[in-house]
Amino acid sequence: MNVATVPTPTRAFAPFLDEIDGTLCVPAESSAADIRDQIGEHPLRFPLILDLHATLEEQVAASAFAPASSRFGPYCDNIMGMNWQLPTGQIVRIGERVVKSTTGYDWFRFLLPTGRRFGQPLDYVIRLRPDCGTTGIFLMNGGAENVARSAGLLLRNSWMHWLDAVDVVALGARRTLRVTVHCPTAEWDIFATYLGAFAAKQGLALEVQPDTAMPADGCPDVVFKTAPEQVHALAGELARTAGVRCVALCYHGVVHAYLPESAERPALVRALVQPHIAGLHALGGDWHSRHLAPPAPSNEEAGWIAILEQAFPLP
Amino acid sequence: MSPPDLELQLRRIITRGRVLVSPAQLAGYAADGLGYKNYPPDAVVIPADAEELAHFMRCAAGLGVPVCLRGAGTSLSGGPVAAQGGVIVHTSGLRSVRTVCPEGFWCEVECGVALNALDDVLKPHGLFYPPDPSSGPVCTLGGNIATNAGGAHCFRYGVTSNYVLGVEVVLLDGRVRRFGGPAGGRGPWREDWKRFMIGSEGTLGAFTRFWLRLLPLPEKVWTFRATYPDLRTVEAAIHALVAHASFPAAIELLDPRGVAMVESSQMACGLPKGSFMLLTEIDGPGVLVDARVSAVAEILRGAGSNDVVFSDEEAMRQKLWKARKAAGGLLGQLSPDYVVQDAVIPKRALAEVLQLVYDESDAAGLRAVNVFHAGDGNLHPNFLFDSRVPGELEKVELISKRLMQRVVEVGGTLSGEHGIGNDKAAYMPMIFGPDEIRLQLAVPAVFNPTHQLNPLKVFTGRRFAA
Ligand SMILES: Cc1cc2nc3c(=O)[nH]c(=O)nc-3n(C[C@H](O)[C@H](O)[C@H](O)COP(=O)(O)OP(=O)(O)OC[C@H]3O[C@@H](n4cnc5c(N)ncnc54)[C@H](O)[C@@H]3O)c2cc1C
Repeated sequence: MNVATVPTPTRAFAPFLDEIDGTLCVPAESSAADIRDQIGEHPLRFPLILDLHATLEEQVAASAFAPASSRFGPYCDNIMGMNWQLPTGQIVRIGERVVKSTTGYDWFRFLLPTGRRFGQPLDYVIRLRPDCGTTGIFLMNGGAENVARSAGLLLRNSWMHWLDAVDVVALGARRTLRVTVHCPTAEWDIFATYLGAFAAKQGLALEVQPDTAMPADGCPDVVFKTAPEQVHALAGELARTAGVRCVALCYHGVVHAYLPESAERPALVRALVQPHIAGLHALGGDWHSRHLAPPAPSNEEAGWIAILEQAFPLP
Repeated sequence: MSPPDLELQLRRIITRGRVLVSPAQLAGYAADGLGYKNYPPDAVVIPADAEELAHFMRCAAGLGVPVCLRGAGTSLSGGPVAAQGGVIVHTSGLRSVRTVCPEGFWCEVECGVALNALDDVLKPHGLFYPPDPSSGPVCTLGGNIATNAGGAHCFRYGVTSNYVLGVEVVLLDGRVRRFGGPAGGRGPWREDWKRFMIGSEGTLGAFTRFWLRLLPLPEKVWTFRATYPDLRTVEAAIHALVAHASFPAAIELLDPRGVAMVESSQMACGLPKGSFMLLTEIDGPGVLVDARVSAVAEILRGAGSNDVVFSDEEAMRQKLWKARKAAGGLLGQLSPDYVVQDAVIPKRALAEVLQLVYDESDAAGLRAVNVFHAGDGNLHPNFLFDSRVPGELEKVELISKRLMQRVVEVGGTLSGEHGIGNDKAAYMPMIFGPDEIRLQLAVPAVFNPTHQLNPLKVFTGRRFAA
């Protein structure tokens, strides 16, 4: 759709960078590199990057979470507003450029993860965070049980607030606790000392990658959202399937599953998901795959959706 | 329906809980935290539990009167009042913390649990629930979730909506629906309907249960208090703190009129006259926060304060918070009435918008005290007035309107954490154009099409026609 040809409403967001609030308005098709370019020399960053090449819209559609959600929350807490084009072509401003709002019903958080079911995002207002200096990754390898227990220990103390990500990477029987740190260079040694001692105490083999980029695993093929206490069991079970690599975002109970490249991927996704659906729903969890359309809504929900759609203004 | 008929019907529906109808009992439910506008309900019901609340909701359509949910009634926007008459449903019977799952960082609570009561339960597990409105000792989680409440520490930790994993809601016909749960996803639904529920101000359904996300308690906290001679310097301090790698948990501001109010009270703590008082806090593992203390103190001094006090000792920290905490309570003593606004603005406009508050209130001969969440740009100008003096309320309303207009012009929004209620509903067309209002009203069209739940709130046109 040619965005330039549709009228822009007066309150729609225009492109901006507010270096004081740390907010940036970017087109939805921006990549991580585009966002970095927009930030320029300002000491700010957007930590929620899943995939270095995908657009922000694709990333948001692929999963509600990225590794740095452990510290900063899901996308919906790191994107604050958007220019949204309704199926009728009309552009409406949804959400805000300020960090908190109780002004009316929260269409923003409702629409953000809906892909293109109710229209499409044109621009996002994203929340940037101070760029403190350096990023490093601590890889801790060990047995499945030990890694799961260690991830729990790490999350249940006050360091977790300062770790960008606490993920478990699972492939077959292999497990790695992957901890990402972003901190002022002067504080690196404090983190390294703590995490080094932690790995030693838990009997995990440590490999440190200092001065590196945030892990970007790519857009997952399937996303499972369960309760955090279930995440290791679920990731473990999925990782037993041949060729499936899982990244468990431990604090939020999210498993990103990556499947081998294959024409059979949709069928594989179905097979992978099917045994877990009832269990996920019972906990108020869900699953989602960018390779499959979402299941049809129930009659009750379809009725609700129809009422919402009646409100979309005609062009 | 005549009052005796209504009472009779209610007593048939609510058999285990309570039905209140005497004027003395109803008087306690006529206003919220704002206090100056009174809307006595026709009756109040206090269901004994969630089941009785659901039964009431199933029968509500037959009553043909408005229904308004109420937690502790501390709202500052005219939310939990019977603006169009009818029945208030008080949720004090639903007070159980049902589950705490420390391994999963979640808990399950009923809607009538008081916020601080939840924290008391969580503390032994080394966990906390971050949203912290100052009304914590009494306000309920139901009210918090219905208003998307914030608080002093939301600058780093975020507001209520960041922590709600699931909502159980009783719809108007008594259907009980669960959106999300401990896992915080959509559950069996295609869309994430809990998003509409959070911040919906009692206009979509009656919340009975929640699943909330928790965090481990920080090991150590340092509190800093600094005073500044003028708006320019305090604004510079706020901007520098916001960008700093120590990620302060809270950045709070009390303006010179607030400082004067505290200093002339029994809560005086020796703040310099005419100063702006900035309060900030950093928290985390001891070894980490201790390493950051001097940098934060340097920021505060560098911006222009020669009066920076800080401590990690609990007693001293409480002393540093004293003026900030006292300010809210003192407002009620200083003036028969006050209105508090809740706008959020981009922080580059802080000094300009505060100046507007001073100019407008001075010109109108009204006192305005500002005590607010500066890190979020969440202003709370309190306009003090006497509703018995003809014309005073109108003056406040005029100033508030001009303020909101400017807030919207600089890119801000009407409410950051208190909600719209009926107090700010008239400003909504400043934010939403006709297309956006149509979208907004589509949400109650799904869940509460007759507006029987909490009419005249959020949008002025939401009127219940029996
Ligand atoms: C001294 C003081 C300090 C305050 N400080 C803060 C602060 O720092 N931050 C902040 O955000 N707020 C603050 N507030 C405002 C207020 O405390 C909050 O809005 C709080 O969330 C209201 O909770 P409550 O239980 O009192 O709800 P109520 O006032 O009873 O109700 C508020 C709204 O929620 C709805 N509601 C209540 N229960 C339910 C339910 N079970 N289901 C559906 N809807 C429901 C009501 O209909 C109403 O619209 C303060 C108020 C006071 C008096």
